Amino acid sequence: MTTDDYLELPLGDLLDRLSANGLAPGGGSAAALTVAFAARLVAMVARCSPAWGDAAGVIAQANAIGDRAVELAHTDGRVWDEALTALRDAEAAESDDPRKGFALEQKLEAAAAAPLEIASLGADTAQLAALAGDVGEPTYRADAAAAAALAAGGASAAAHLVRVNLGVRSADPRLVRALASETAAHDVAARLRESHR
Amino acid sequence: MSRFASASDAELVRGCRGGDQEAWNELVERYSRYVYAIAVRGFRLTEEDAEDIFQDVFTRIYTRLDSLRDDSALRPWIAQLTRRRCLDAIAARRDVPTDELADEGSTDLSDVEEAFEVREALTALSGNCQDILDRFFARDQSYKTIAAELEIPSGTIASRIARCLGRLRERLEGRNDASEGSRE
Repeated sequence: MTTDDYLELPLGDLLDRLSANGLAPGGGSAAALTVAFAARLVAMVARCSPAWGDAAGVIAQANAIGDRAVELAHTDGRVWDEALTALRDAEAAESDDPRKGFALEQKLEAAAAAPLEIASLGADTAQLAALAGDVGEPTYRADAAAAAALAAGGASAAAHLVRVNLGVRSADPRLVRALASETAAHDVAARLRESHR
Repeated sequence: MSRFASASDAELVRGCRGGDQEAWNELVERYSRYVYAIAVRGFRLTEEDAEDIFQDVFTRIYTRLDSLRDDSALRPWIAQLTRRRCLDAIAARRDVPTDELADEGSTDLSDVEEAFEVREALTALSGNCQDILDRFFARDQSYKTIAAELEIPSGTIASRIARCLGRLRERLEGRNDASEGSRE
């Protein structure tokens, strides 16, 4: 496959590419695209709520978040490819050159930055889904709850990748931030599930 | 803040014609990004070319302001001057007559026009609304960051942004209604 733009790919091709035995897209891109799906679902709920005065403003936010998530899916794929290449080079070289170790560390740090943002977008999407579920057209409350659940899933996956990519201690502020986003998204998703039963 | 900050374009033009330096400063401030955006985004000119066009367009505005027939039509007049100057620059580079480039940049110009209208409508909103919309849409800040920096509950950010967007839309629709009416 030649295109690097996920939005240009038919869904089937994107899924094939995800399951291919190669490099990106991987877990980070999948998490970002999950958040993008969730955000677009929130936009749908708002669009189907004609009596809601703020619906257009929610659609604009959901679309903005969705666009950012797709952008992060690409960013994550690119930086993860670079990190993986650096990791393989380091293994092949079997050297203790500290400069190579530092370069690899830098690549892994960069690979953690995108999932950190993805987790944050997941939390924002869940919050927007809560607003849509609470105030939007009641018929679509289940879709709002589904959007929050997807966003929480994306945030969880992304937070996990932050932890793994950095190999960080629990007090690292980046991991703390990622976990806070994950918790916030899950709290909202759980509340929506309960209140809309 | 300038005395002319909230002045209409017609008031600004009258101030400039009367030699008021503050009016001229406000006109440059109000339209500098517009001229620059037409050159760079509308015609894909380099920053260097855009800088030349910027200087030239504002010199022409200054020296030819008396030739503007309708004081409230300042923006279309500036757009026309800038467009003409951009086409001259492209024609000179390609060594072709300017008339052969009539359609150049026309699609992107509507984007520039729309962006400028949104920016103008934004300035009419409250400072709080301008700030929160800028943080979310221009600076890509998360709800959590916005809430922490503005010291307001995180759960209210999305609805605040939605309300501010609603006000922005009202401004834009009001502007469009007014311009529709003025054409009749």
